[in-house]
Amino acid sequence: MTEKSANGTTHPTVKAPPASNKSFPNPFDLPTPAGAEGWEELYPYYYLLSPERQEMEEGKFWFFDGVHNPEPLYPFDTIMTENWWVAASQMASRVWPIPVAMGIDQRLINGYIYVSPNGVTDPEKIAERQEHFTRRAGHYFGNWDEIYAEWTEKAKGCIGRLDEIKFQPLPEIEPEENVFSHRGIYSSHDLLCSYNRLIENMLEMGSYHFEMLNLGYGAYLTFRDFCQQAFPGITDATITQMVCGIDNLLLRPDDEVRRLAAAAMELKVAEIILKNEQPDEMLAAMAKAEGGADWLEKFEAAKEPWFRFSTGVGYTHSDPVWIDDLRLPLMAMRNYIELLQRGEDISRPLAALLEKRGKVTEEYRALLPTDQDREAFDGLLGLTCKVFPHVEDHNFFVEHWHHTNFWSKVRELADVFVAHNFFDDREDLFFLHRHEVYDALYDLLTGWATGSPARGEVYWRPIVKRRREMRDALAKWTPPPALGTPPSVITEPITIMLWGITEETVEEWLGVDASADSDMLRGVPAASGKATGLARIVKDSEDLYQLQDGEILVCRIIAPSWAPVFSRIAAAVSDVGGIMAHSAIISREYGLPSVVGTGFATANIHTGDLVEVDGDAGTVRVLERAAG
Amino acid sequence: MTDHPFIIWLDHESASGNPLLGGKFSNLAEMLAADFSVPPGFGVSTAAYHHFMDQAGLAAEATALLTSGSSVASSVIKGKASDMVAAIMSQPLPSDLETAIRHNYTSLEEKVGQKDVPVAVRSSGELEDLTGASFAGQYDTYLWIIGADSVLHHVRKCWASMFGEAVFSYRSGVEEAGGKQDIGICAGIQQMVEARAAGVMFTLDPLNGDRSKVAIEACWGLGEGVVKGDVTPSRFIIDKVTFEVIKRQIVSQLEEYAFDPKTGAVGLVPLAADHQDSACIADKEAVQLAKLGKHIEQRRSAPQDIEWAINQQGDIKILQVRPETVWSQRERSGLVSDVKSPIDHVLLRLSGVQMAKPPSEEGQP
Repeated sequence: MTEKSANGTTHPTVKAPPASNKSFPNPFDLPTPAGAEGWEELYPYYYLLSPERQEMEEGKFWFFDGVHNPEPLYPFDTIMTENWWVAASQMASRVWPIPVAMGIDQRLINGYIYVSPNGVTDPEKIAERQEHFTRRAGHYFGNWDEIYAEWTEKAKGCIGRLDEIKFQPLPEIEPEENVFSHRGIYSSHDLLCSYNRLIENMLEMGSYHFEMLNLGYGAYLTFRDFCQQAFPGITDATITQMVCGIDNLLLRPDDEVRRLAAAAMELKVAEIILKNEQPDEMLAAMAKAEGGADWLEKFEAAKEPWFRFSTGVGYTHSDPVWIDDLRLPLMAMRNYIELLQRGEDISRPLAALLEKRGKVTEEYRALLPTDQDREAFDGLLGLTCKVFPHVEDHNFFVEHWHHTNFWSKVRELADVFVAHNFFDDREDLFFLHRHEVYDALYDLLTGWATGSPARGEVYWRPIVKRRREMRDALAKWTPPPALGTPPSVITEPITIMLWGITEETVEEWLGVDASADSDMLRGVPAASGKATGLARIVKDSEDLYQLQDGEILVCRIIAPSWAPVFSRIAAAVSDVGGIMAHSAIISREYGLPSVVGTGFATANIHTGDLVEVDGDAGTVRVLERAAG
Repeated sequence: MTDHPFIIWLDHESASGNPLLGGKFSNLAEMLAADFSVPPGFGVSTAAYHHFMDQAGLAAEATALLTSGSSVASSVIKGKASDMVAAIMSQPLPSDLETAIRHNYTSLEEKVGQKDVPVAVRSSGELEDLTGASFAGQYDTYLWIIGADSVLHHVRKCWASMFGEAVFSYRSGVEEAGGKQDIGICAGIQQMVEARAAGVMFTLDPLNGDRSKVAIEACWGLGEGVVKGDVTPSRFIIDKVTFEVIKRQIVSQLEEYAFDPKTGAVGLVPLAADHQDSACIADKEAVQLAKLGKHIEQRRSAPQDIEWAINQQGDIKILQVRPETVWSQRERSGLVSDVKSPIDHVLLRLSGVQMAKPPSEEGQP
């Protein structure tokens, strides 16, 4: 007899011991995808598996972090993963330190990021660490609001300093003011310093990123544990509903689009937005129209910072950002205007959501056995609600506001290289690792200073071409969810918190056959409800513009900034993601059935297939394959 | 006579909670009064039972038997009880009572517009609910009874079930605790639900006492198999707050309980092939049931054990409600043992220590 749990996984009634004889592929045995031979040159030496450390590396459990980096990494973009390799790890290992956890190790395998948490097992060491941890983490929890206020100021300061960094091609002749002010340092030094400041600024924000985050997750995790003990089987969706902010910064960009739609109606310029699908044409027409200037003023005000909104996780330079590609917010705006013209209310039902949350919370509370339990529940819920705004809002500050700005600064720098004849295209820079960029920059300075052509003018083009081809080949490969030796138990809280990886997940992965072309996919039920419709595979935000009303969005990972299309689709399905993923939170806000972490939806489902999404059971079923 | 009528219809204003209907039937009347959907019918009251016992000269002996408790050797009780059963089955019915039952069966036929309407005849004991013991399955139920003669015969059988062996052994402990001297029984007569699917639900998880769940067991056909335990039911666990389907365990079923024209009685018959491997109730229906269960629990202010059926038209009918008796009577053990600040809870959790123990750690009932 088998038992089906709500998330659709089937497992024997008598549970097999977690560590069965099965094992994951040895990371050293994975074949290199055809055409990607030599891919290792894209990344620094310390990021690769190596024969000297083979025994240690194949004895570890590695899982693919598709949540944050579903695609093979661009060499420059490893600054993001390298940042958390240190910044997130040091919080658990050295700063708090979490008694049972060290840091989280990383390797790039065929260009994809695999991570492996380190734990602490020596009881003596755990006890020693606990003393430090309790004092330090207790200080943060005890002074959360003040520290979070400081955090916000630090984050804004960091973003402000990032804004001030400018990159310009070096001048033919050094400007006079640099001479007459007797600075003694010149444009070459400024350029090099700007680059260093840019990198340092990124790593500074990267450090703030994890200053409070894991403690926030920790409070949530404790509340979640309590609920799961009290109400076995309670879904994550329900627990999150009790703590998540009705209004958080991630929802603000979409709210701004709604406001701009309403303003366009009031100022009677809505038709201009509806008629001009190209952003430039719309803006030009708006500038000439009566009332257009007023609307444009509101539009410009909303853009900073709310349109600094990435259409991806923010960890990848190639994810389009609203402020650079206005098509996405404007598409949403047209949709809202049409709704308003039909007399519909486009505001989010905040009061109804709040009321529902209160009712659900109160009902569970009443079901607890004792007053002491209710006291614990109230305390944990209170603490979780206190820390959760940071968990949600940090994402806007860090990944959206700061990181999108960071990527545009990197492009400014890339333009300097293009101007100095190193590259043909600004995007080429991303095929260099940040340490290689430093070398290339110094190379550029020598060329400028001496008047001989820099070697970079002939050196990088073939390398970029080769690396682009290799990365394209890597992108066609499907990374297995896990590698190495399966762990028998997972107690380390960070892994559970950040990736939702449990012994059950590991068991399930051991049973997964990546190659099976199945009509039935299982994932995590992220948002309740059932829907049937035609699938639309969205591999990047460009595909979003093909979406038809009522279709089911199927993608590698749902980006929060896709929220504007959520009002048009019937359901959302993703390959990767957990219940705490921002996309899952937003799906719930929109009341959209959603199944995340299906593993292979974009491989098994094709655009035009008729699919059924069950957001309660966590299943996606292909009912009818599209012709051809 | 007016104070102690022989017949009380479920939808009569006096029916709800009326002790003359016994526990089971007065509960159903309460459900009906609260607008839950209950199959129409009437009870042959405990007054009718006492009237018969008086007229047949069995009353004194019955009282003696029912109060004998464990002070008399069980073999002696067994002999006396079986004499009593034989007497109940054979002594003439008082004519006023027989006329009343026949007349009201005819009224039921007219009410539902069906001559020879099949009915269920159920014992409804006075002790049910009073003692906190459920008496589940101790009194008899007779299904698909057709015609007044057969109804009369099965009313007697309900009365006789008071003296069945099982009831005695189940009751002795209750009696010692200070029982009622003069216990009666009601025979409830209700239109049969031609069930497409039926079963039982508890408004808590019977495995661990978790009150945030509704547990449903369901099978194709009549629910007798679930009640008796000879059909393995499909199981659903529904969240009582959000009504999410938390667990769904669909079991293949080869036979169902239904009226078998060949034998003229309810029995196990082969289940249509296309039903065998499919869910007997849809998620939507499971959720509907859970909502119903939650309402009933709220109305009755305690966890409930509810028998239900879904007819061919898809309407849910409540067949029986009674208090859940296992977990409800236990002291509920708390999750946290000592008072800690929420911060301490979190710090301990991140140190790898679990803060709460799962419910019912002391084991299953």
